[in-house]
Order: sequence, then structure tokens, then C-alpha cells
Amino acid sequence: MILKFDLQAFVENKETLIVISLIFGILVFATLLFWIMGLVRPNANIGELKMRTKSWWMMATIFVVATVLDPVISFVAIGALSFMALREIASISKNVREEDRKILIWCYLAIPVQYLFAYYKHYGLFLTFIPIFMHLWIPFMLVLRGVTENIGRSMSVLPTQLMLTVFGVSHLAFLLSLPELEGFKAGGRGLLLFVVFITEMNDVFQFTWGKMFGRYKIIPKISPNKTWEGFIGGIITTTVVGYFLRFLTPFSGMEAIIICLSVAITGFIGDVVVSAIKRDVGMKDTGNTIPGHGGILDRIDSLALTAPVFFHIVYNLYYLK
Amino acid sequence: MKKATLFIVYSVIMRTVLKLFSGTKLIHKENLVYRGPCVIVGNHNSHLDTISIMAHLPLRQLAKTHPIAAGDYFGKSPFKAALTRFFVNAVLIPRSRPKEGETGPDPIQMMVQVLEKGDSLLLFPEGSRGEPEKFQKFKRGVGLVLEQCPDIPFIPIYMKGLGKILPKGDPVPVPFDSYMRIGTPIFPKGRTAEEIVSEVEQQIYMLKAEFD
Repeated sequence: MILKFDLQAFVENKETLIVISLIFGILVFATLLFWIMGLVRPNANIGELKMRTKSWWMMATIFVVATVLDPVISFVAIGALSFMALREIASISKNVREEDRKILIWCYLAIPVQYLFAYYKHYGLFLTFIPIFMHLWIPFMLVLRGVTENIGRSMSVLPTQLMLTVFGVSHLAFLLSLPELEGFKAGGRGLLLFVVFITEMNDVFQFTWGKMFGRYKIIPKISPNKTWEGFIGGIITTTVVGYFLRFLTPFSGMEAIIICLSVAITGFIGDVVVSAIKRDVGMKDTGNTIPGHGGILDRIDSLALTAPVFFHIVYNLYYLK
Repeated sequence: MKKATLFIVYSVIMRTVLKLFSGTKLIHKENLVYRGPCVIVGNHNSHLDTISIMAHLPLRQLAKTHPIAAGDYFGKSPFKAALTRFFVNAVLIPRSRPKEGETGPDPIQMMVQVLEKGDSLLLFPEGSRGEPEKFQKFKRGVGLVLEQCPDIPFIPIYMKGLGKILPKGDPVPVPFDSYMRIGTPIFPKGRTAEEIVSEVEQQIYMLKAEFD
């Protein structure tokens, strides 16, 4: 197996190039904006925003490099993301008992298996391995440990963590395994770029709209920053952006609107679900891997849900022949 | 030879393994850069405590830092003792001082000698490894050593998560996030051994509190 820079094919593929330029264009714009804001009003409280932008630079670069390089690297990179996310959620979870340590090894071992199924395009096993086989295996292993106190909790917590961090995220990788469609040049990479971009922009838009106009809170006990204004402003902006970026996808205009709405709403759901988990363990951010953003999980919480939703809509619309 | 081995084992291999396996994050690692002899103290939950501190020491200090290990455990056989001395750069000490009338090496004096030679110590005042994320009572040894060396500081370190990766009595490591928070060097000049021990304990508790 030879790893190669697929740079030529990448440069020829105008669609991805446009979006990548767009990503870095936005980052340049944000960096300049905050820099100027800092000059004009030195007292403005934008330290966090600056730190976030800096982290976005790093994440965008890693993401773009991992997508542009050989697919093997993309698979390894997305798998590593799953690993770090699972490790993070297992580390903060107080619902993981001491007896569950050994069971966690099984959860970690599921990661390479799941990504191998994705790499070898085995759709059936990819889809069933975690929801069916791991959901059978983990409770059985827990039973064999023989400690029944709180075992029911562990039986539901461990597979749920797997679903969120491995099953959900691995759909990003399977996008790269989709067969080529006639007349659709951007292919799996285009779809990957599209869903990640749309999801992350949705987070940013909901955050920005909420900061600027937010008044009416949706679920103050879980996520005090989530407001109706942010939510609605966010999904509309996301849908507009997605509509204009649909050249990365095989979608028609109407399809793009419906799919982007679903992604935006799903992203919100993922965000608040992970927020609730964090509240449960009394934590603001799930870790501090990414400066200004908290942990890995804080950044991919929405992605863990939007990836499978997006994938299955696209799969059923275009690839199920 | 030993210096090169320590460098490869800790600064290269162990640092990479820890980063990949548990994403070990150092907070205020600049505090580890202290030229001259010092006593590094930390909470103790895992064999990984020693390894991860060694893995993040600046190069010039690595070969000069000696973890303190219990002679009865790590020196069970001459072979194990030689291995521990070579690969961990450890100083093996008896767990208790000789009683009156007894002869034998005095662990406190052994540690003081290392410091007087210009080297540093790495020790865990809790003694043996405890349960993950829990503290045991700090022992007096560190106070007795620092009392005799008034110009030498201690550097407190609080480690989190390592005890979950490789706890006592379980040889299989499991990935968890881990953090090391390093405090500023503190000179306990002119204090009694008891005061120094409680100062050390308090410093590590304060580092822990910054996490919660």
C-alpha cells in the first residue's frame, strides 16, 4: 500500500478547492476582524473569541490536510478523532464504574473494527457492528465481571458512548467509501467537506446569533446560552450557506434546503445532549484539549449526530439503487 | 550511555506513548525548568506517575533526577535492583530509618547525599500508590530531607487520570485522559520538618483544587 499526495486530482477538483479557500477566507476575515476590534476597543472582551479563532485555524488545517491526503490518512485521522472523543467521554463520565475499566478496552477495540468496515466499504457490517453486536457483547462482558451493583447503568452508558463517539463519527469516514456517481465530481470528499463545514458553521451561527440577539432561552437548565433567536437565526443562515455550497453535493436546490435544515436541527440536538451529559458530571467543558473550545467532544458533539443523519439521507436519496 | 538510554526511553518513547495513549497534558510545564538540585513531589496513584514526570523533564535534568524507590519492593533481587537503578535512574532506600542501636543505611541521609551531590530527587510523600484520584496521608520523609537542605526548593506536581490508566494491582493499561499540573518551586527555608510536610501537602491540594 503506497500513500500518495493526491494533490493533482485535488487541484483539478475545483469544487473542493473553492470550499477550502472559503474556509481559510473566513478564518482570515475573523482573525483580521478580531485584531482590528482589539485595536479599536482594547477593553473589549474578545480574548475568548481570539483563542477560538486560533484553534479554528489549527482544526481547519488538520481537517483540510487529512482530507486532501490519501484516503488511508483520512480514515486514520477520523478514527483517531473517535478514539480521543471516546477517551474524553469515558474520562469525565462518573457513570463508568471501576469494574468497567476492562470493558472499556472492548469499546476501544471496536474503533479499528468499525473503521476497517468503513474502509473496506462493507456497508452491512458497518451499520450493524456497534448497534447490534457491540450492544450484545458489552452487556455480556459486564455480566461476566460479576458485579451487579449499578450494572444496568453501565450497560446503557457504555454502548451509548460508543454510539456517539464511534458509530456517529465513523459515518464521516464512510462518506469517503461511497461509490462514484455519474456526473457528480466532488464525490465522497465533497460530501465530507460539506457536512463538516455546514455543521461547524451551524455551531458558529447559532452561537453568534444567540450572542447578538438572544433573549428567549430554550432550555435554560441545560444550556443557558441556547436561545430561540440563536437557534432560528442559526438554522436559516446555515441553510442559506448550504444552498450556495450545494455544488459539493449532488443535491437539487430543494433537497439542499431540506437536508441543511435537518443538519442544522440535528446539530443543535447533538450540542444540547452533550451539554446535558456535562451538566450531569458538573463540568463546563468536557476537557481542555482545544484552547477556547474545551475538549474534543465540545467541538464534535453536533457532528456525532449530524454525520449519520446526513449520511443516511444522502445514501437513501442517491446511492440506494 | 545511561544518559542516552534515559533520553530514548523517557523523552522519546514514553513521551510519545503517553501523548498517543492518554493525551497527557502539562499545565505550566515551564515550572519544571529549574536549574540546580530540587525535590519534585507529587501525588501517587500509579507507576505511570514516575514515568510521566521523567518523560517531561527537560533534558539537562533528566539524568540528574533520581526517583526514590522502596528497596524492599524494587530491590527484591539484585537483578531487579540493577534494572531499576539503570532504567529508572532510581535511588533505592529502606522504608524506615534504623532504630536506635541498629546499624544500616539511613534513608534520609541517603536522600540528602543525593541533593548535596547536586542532583535532584523525585518522591511521592504518600509512600505507596493509593486509589485513583484519592490522597493518602503524607509521610514525614520529605520534610526531614528539606529541613537539612534549606537552600533547595520543592516543586509540587498534581497528576490526574494516571491512576485510572494503570492503577495499583492491575497490569492492563486502559486509555483515559490525563493531566499534570506543575506548581512553582517553593523554598521552605527555616521551617521544621512537620511544617514542610504540611506545606507540601497543601501545595498539592491547591493544584488539585484548580482542576475542580
